[in-house]
Amino acid sequence: MLKMQNIRKSYRTDTIETHALRDFSLEVNEGEFVSVTGPSGSGKTTFLNIAGLLETPTGGQYLLDGQEVGNLSDSERSRLRNEKIGFIFQGFNLIPDLNLFDNIDVPLRYRGFNAKERRRRIEKSLEQVGLSARAKHLPAQLSGGQQQRVAIARALAGEPRFLLADEPTGNLDSLMARQVMELLEFINEWGTTIVMVTHDPELARRAQRNIQIVDGQVSDLRQTIAQPEAAIA
Amino acid sequence: MIGYYISLAMRSLRGTPILSALMIAAIAVGVGASMTVLTLNYMMSQNALEHKDSVLYAVQLDSWDPNQAADTANEIPWQLTYPDAIALLRSDIPTRQVAMHRFGFTVNIDESELRPFTANTRVTTRDFFSLFDVPFEYGGTWNKEADTAAVQSVVLSKETNDKLFGGENSVGKIVKLNGEPFTVIGVLKHWNPSPKIYDLNNNPFADSEELYIPFGLHRKFEIYSWGNTNGWTSRTAEGAEGYERFLLGEHVWIQYWVELDNAEQREAYEQFLTGHIHQQKEQGRFERPLKFALSPPSEWLVLNEVLENDNRVLGWASLAFLLVCVINAVALLLAKFLRKAPEAGVRRALGASRNAIFTQHLIESSCIGVLGGLFGIILALAGLTGIRVLAMGQADQIAAMNWEMMLAAVGLAILASILAGLYPAWRISRTNPSVYLKTQ
Amino acid sequence: MFELKPMLSALWRNKVSALLIALQLALTLAIVSNATVIVKDRMEKVARPTGMDVGNIIAATYMPIPTDYDMAGAVIADLDLLRNTPGVLDASVTNQIPLSGSGSAGTYFNEPNQEIGGENANYYQVDSHFIDTLGLNLIEGRNFTPADEHVVGPNDRHHSEVAVISKQFAEKLFPGESAVGRFFYAGNTDKPVEIIGVVEQHLGAWPGWSRAGNVVFYPLLVTDNHKRYLIRTEPGQRDAVFKEVEELLNNRDPQRVVQVETLSKNLERTYIGDNVMIKVLSLVMALLTFIVALGIIGLTIFWINQRTKQIGIRRALGATRANISRYFLIENSLIAGTGLVLGTAGALIINRLMVSEFSQPTLTLPLLAVCAIVLLLVSITAALMPAMRAANVSPAMATRSV
Repeated sequence: MLKMQNIRKSYRTDTIETHALRDFSLEVNEGEFVSVTGPSGSGKTTFLNIAGLLETPTGGQYLLDGQEVGNLSDSERSRLRNEKIGFIFQGFNLIPDLNLFDNIDVPLRYRGFNAKERRRRIEKSLEQVGLSARAKHLPAQLSGGQQQRVAIARALAGEPRFLLADEPTGNLDSLMARQVMELLEFINEWGTTIVMVTHDPELARRAQRNIQIVDGQVSDLRQTIAQPEAAIA
Repeated sequence: MIGYYISLAMRSLRGTPILSALMIAAIAVGVGASMTVLTLNYMMSQNALEHKDSVLYAVQLDSWDPNQAADTANEIPWQLTYPDAIALLRSDIPTRQVAMHRFGFTVNIDESELRPFTANTRVTTRDFFSLFDVPFEYGGTWNKEADTAAVQSVVLSKETNDKLFGGENSVGKIVKLNGEPFTVIGVLKHWNPSPKIYDLNNNPFADSEELYIPFGLHRKFEIYSWGNTNGWTSRTAEGAEGYERFLLGEHVWIQYWVELDNAEQREAYEQFLTGHIHQQKEQGRFERPLKFALSPPSEWLVLNEVLENDNRVLGWASLAFLLVCVINAVALLLAKFLRKAPEAGVRRALGASRNAIFTQHLIESSCIGVLGGLFGIILALAGLTGIRVLAMGQADQIAAMNWEMMLAAVGLAILASILAGLYPAWRISRTNPSVYLKTQ
Repeated sequence: MFELKPMLSALWRNKVSALLIALQLALTLAIVSNATVIVKDRMEKVARPTGMDVGNIIAATYMPIPTDYDMAGAVIADLDLLRNTPGVLDASVTNQIPLSGSGSAGTYFNEPNQEIGGENANYYQVDSHFIDTLGLNLIEGRNFTPADEHVVGPNDRHHSEVAVISKQFAEKLFPGESAVGRFFYAGNTDKPVEIIGVVEQHLGAWPGWSRAGNVVFYPLLVTDNHKRYLIRTEPGQRDAVFKEVEELLNNRDPQRVVQVETLSKNLERTYIGDNVMIKVLSLVMALLTFIVALGIIGLTIFWINQRTKQIGIRRALGATRANISRYFLIENSLIAGTGLVLGTAGALIINRLMVSEFSQPTLTLPLLAVCAIVLLLVSITAALMPAMRAANVSPAMATRSV
């Protein structure tokens, strides 16, 4: 699904150059649920941005679904992002002045679906996250957990094969965090590949595989032992 | 997708009403001011004879003071002397030609309740109407002999015919001009070109004349000019006394136009004019170096500075004003768009390309432009009304907006707002979305 | 001023916005200063004294209907009638109405038989009541007497032996000496005209003319096909008399067309172009300043919102309210100052073009400085309101995440 080889990413300001990722290599297989952990500033977010085609690496090779994406134009990358990738953020990132229906509508608009198809998908994904009744509400009228469910619905509406989650439960209390986590696992079971950045070791352990990034490199590729029950407890 | 962007734009404008109102107001005021002045300048630069620009020429001859050039743009007097006009009329080279000037009569009709009034009158040769495409409602122009003999015929403007005869066909009726009977031989349709290109002396935006009489009447009525008469010497034809002293004198007061249909004709006419000047030089006139000018209508308007320096200054001032309004809108749009940068970041993550973000924001600024343009039209209409009041009725014809100018106003507003939106939209489309996706 | 360096680097990060504000102010200064100099010039022009009691004068033009009409007799009878009308102080006949845009001019010399080096002047053919009717101030010599007046036909060769001229024209003909008792020549002729009196001021037919104020009056009545009367009324009586004049003249002799106007209207009409310039440019200046002020308010609010947290941190670290307000005011002044320096250069360049291309007046440095100071004050005032608001940001903002 995702294959990174010797990815480098450095940021330049006027005076200093910082290396966010150095010789970063990683492979994620179709249908996997991978968690990414690491200390602050280790390069987790940079990895996620590159994986999600929001940033281009300074060097190295990135294959998404077998396709080399390094040389694609912005609109080609945007197209890929729209069709294949769903995003979930810690801060939910719903557009505050659009109601739930219109928020979920956003990626579908860029996809170019007709009105009927968009309505079908929006209604379906709202139903999946259990918020059908609140389609006309504004995000601010919802609790944090509900907002994150809307964000997930929005990510799923385009039926992406690859879901990137950046601290999806970071702003939620434990009960809501558990609900969101269960939802992600459910989605994964239906075949969507998930990469989740978190610094909660409990959550990380619930993934099939945990990757640790330290100083811009993958420090440990060991398989986590699947112990879902333990993690919940 | 455009519909989606427009609905997003309207939503965004409603979201920040004060900032949006400020931007719309800036564009509206800028467009309103520039359209007021540009409409005025555009209307003042109209050329009613544009379609005849390649065949029609105003004639100027340099018969002026040997010691000092005439005080005009091309240093040739605007008008001709009467003897020169008469000499030129004898040429059969031009397809049509007109010698003319403005005059005034008192007008009354016998056995009428109507109070006598004074009427602006054009004293002209018969080709005036065909040369300047003046349309007749009834009748037509006078015979060729009336251009040289005293024939008391008159052509009425539509307005005069309405006033005197209630608009009916008055051909054959008698009108008293300065108490003398004149036979109506023609009535015009409404005709009032502005600027009054055929006679730009005095006020170029005055109304057309109310009466038209033949050129052969000068001696009979001792007609002087009601326009400009300029002279540099009191010299006149030998032995001329009384009115003849004026008529044959060395002052200019006759406007002269010719129609020359092709280059050969024009060349022949230039030779004719050269010949005329040489002949006059032998008689002691035309002491300056040989000089004449044939100016087509478009050049004639420029030479006569119908569009004055003040109009140009106002034109530039209003455009500079619009520029400031645009810069103002750039700054405000930039602020507004940058505030919405997180939303753009989310849209990017959800699959919007840079172009999509750019287009969305450019359309938002165009919406501001359309609204600003509509308000701008209202402001321009108010501005033009103000100008009409300030001009005390002298600008009624030029301080008016037609549909084209209104469309131009909206066009200008959209252009201004697109220019204003270009940088902010580019900037927001280039921002790295990841910055706004991470919660701080 | 310890804050200057961080302030500059903060500005540098917002350089586009700061530049846009500076650019607006620069253009505004360039436009406003050039517009001000034009407006000032035009206002001075419009305010020039006409020399006449403009507010109380009515002008009537009449054209007889019959061609063989006793003009001279009609003039005597009409003037007699007008002078005896209640509310009328005096009445006079003239060939042209002052300030009407219609008039005659000639070239005059102070030597006989000259062709070059003459001086142009506006001339009027009037009677002995003219000076009193217009309320002109005769500062030297004497007025015409009825004995000076002559009547001539429209095509007669005529020559007046005496004239009254304006002071301005007298100084042109005889610089530095008294003109009364001297002679001048109308055109290339050997017939002298004696100057018997000088009036202080008279703007003539065309106040916009480059030689406006050069005027000659002859005591002459030319019996051409129309004549004009000037009627001076008692103060406050003008409008009442105005309504009567046409009727009065028509009743005496209905065989003519009479048109009545006031000199005030003529004067107003004369200055239409200048008035349009004054009003339009003043409006442009006012709107421009207003728009720029709004822009500054808008952007300052935006910046302050952007930096709310930063302000909170400063407050938490001990900055007083005054420190915060001052920070934003100084920042604004820096931007405005840059803009105004740019604008000064722009104003001078534009003025050069205005002078050379459009014959407008020259911009003086003091006037430019005044405009710049006014704009600086406007800019600071505009920033003041948001800056005061910024000072109210609570230090607790420092600890709150947005």
